[in-house]
Amino acid sequence: MIGIEHYIVLSMALFCIGLFGVLTRRNALMFLMSVELMLNAANINLVAFAFYHGNITGQIFALFTIALAAAEVAIGLGIILVLYRNFRDVDVTVPSQMRW
Amino acid sequence: MFPIELSEWAALAPVYILVLSAMVLFVFDSINPRTTNRAFLAGTTTAGSLAALAVAVWFLLAGVGTPQADGGFGAISLFDGQLVVDQLALFFIVVVTVVTSLVSIASYDYMKGHTYQAEYYTLTLLAATGMATMAASNSLVTIFIALELASLPSYALVSILKDNRGSIEGGLKYFLIGALSSAIFVYGISLVYGATGFMQLDAIAENLDADYGPLLGLGILMLIGGFAFKTASVPFHFWAPEAYEGAPAPIAAFLSSASKAAGFVIAFRVFTTAFPLEPTASVIGVDWTVAFIILAIVTMTIGNFAAATQTNVKRMLAYSSVGHAGYALIGLAGLGAGANDVVMGAALMHLFVYGFMNTGAFLFVGLAEHWGVGRTFEDYNGLSAKAPIACVAMTVFMFSLAGIPPFGGFFSKYFLFTASIDAGLLFVAAALVINSALSLYYYSRLVKALWIEEPVLERESLSQPVGLYAAIVFAAVMTVVVLPGFGPVADAAVDAAAAVVA
Repeated sequence: MIGIEHYIVLSMALFCIGLFGVLTRRNALMFLMSVELMLNAANINLVAFAFYHGNITGQIFALFTIALAAAEVAIGLGIILVLYRNFRDVDVTVPSQMRW
Repeated sequence: MFPIELSEWAALAPVYILVLSAMVLFVFDSINPRTTNRAFLAGTTTAGSLAALAVAVWFLLAGVGTPQADGGFGAISLFDGQLVVDQLALFFIVVVTVVTSLVSIASYDYMKGHTYQAEYYTLTLLAATGMATMAASNSLVTIFIALELASLPSYALVSILKDNRGSIEGGLKYFLIGALSSAIFVYGISLVYGATGFMQLDAIAENLDADYGPLLGLGILMLIGGFAFKTASVPFHFWAPEAYEGAPAPIAAFLSSASKAAGFVIAFRVFTTAFPLEPTASVIGVDWTVAFIILAIVTMTIGNFAAATQTNVKRMLAYSSVGHAGYALIGLAGLGAGANDVVMGAALMHLFVYGFMNTGAFLFVGLAEHWGVGRTFEDYNGLSAKAPIACVAMTVFMFSLAGIPPFGGFFSKYFLFTASIDAGLLFVAAALVINSALSLYYYSRLVKALWIEEPVLERESLSQPVGLYAAIVFAAVMTVVVLPGFGPVADAAVDAAAAVVA
């Protein structure tokens, strides 16, 4: 029987994979994909908890999260596009005129 | 004034006005693509934000959302309690709309000759809408949606100078850290939902269950991450100097004042409404004020020490804005020791005064960029000979940010100081004083450059752009006027805070 704890373990694993990608990848597109993994980890949680608690709030919120993630990617791709035009690269460590 | 009773839909009028102005600009832009009618675009933005400001001030004075115990009609909740209009929400809508109108007036000159005029003003208004909605959000769902509505236009606004490498770099770093922190924030929401089964803040407070303590604790920690990003506090502060330095100066002013205030209002509301101190402490085992005490001290120290070492004026202001986030965090760190409304009220006052003085300071940097005098302290040498009025205003901002007595910044810091002593946070009070003393060093360095140093190069006479000047002078006048008018501001702030911490 698959219980709620299995879903939590799955989502935490997914979240950590995403976080690992964010911290290690230098390609801006890979960074975006890693953030998507983290967002989807939250979605798994939301849907699983919605089933567990027997109310539908979590599922509805997961739909909102998906829509907002799409909007975020749209903005992000736009910024990465101008990044490429200005620096001829999508490596996030290349733009370093200012110090971190 | 007598409290007025509003129907549900009317209570959100300031937010509707902001949305409608944005829609007007959308329609205008679709009829005249690539329009450069700056007078109409900046005019509509300014009129919209001033109208929203006027309505919000009226509601605030008329006691909309005052609790029934104080003779009002109680907080107005809309959409089944997803949004709530009370004094706290109105107070922050006032702060956001003040900053938006100053920024849009100043942008009239600053963005002259830019290709994407209509986009610029529309995005500004949409971000302001998001921030105003954050002030009224009463559920984790609406908080997240409003937060994204404020963030997404901000990413685009920071990187709107598409051929400027600094702007792109600032926008990229802001976006990357923003995307990461919003992912962490949503994960935090999902854990809090898992632990309680509800998204609405008051329902969460009623369903804190000791069985899910660790889950809830982790969720709260992740929520703090989201707030830290929005308010530019440690540990998610390092986007701030890059984004503010690269962004157009009015946008830097907008983000560092309005966006920070909006971040604080959701933090205040979530932690006071959804996680009341004792019940939460008994479930998760620690007092969450401890986290904010640490964050407040670390944030103000890092911000001020980093600001003291900068050579670039805009970057110095960016780090000083990190430091000020640390001061405002005292509003959460000092809760639970009796005088809750005074502690949080002091933080609200500080954010209000900060809205004027910090916006003004960034707009002065915008004016300097408009003149093309350069970015370092040396480049500002002797500007007072050519532009005395703007330099007087900048001096007011600097001394007010440092907390010198005759200006507004002194009063809000004084309240924060006494409030943190009343709350028994002697360490925090000491850190506040030490950091303020340190901040005087780098603020007066700029004043010295403006008034005492001789210019490195001879300058031509400088132009006097009307919009930028008007915004700077107005902000300076307000920073001084807050002195006699501080009583009502302080009362409004304490009342607004009392609404959530009572």
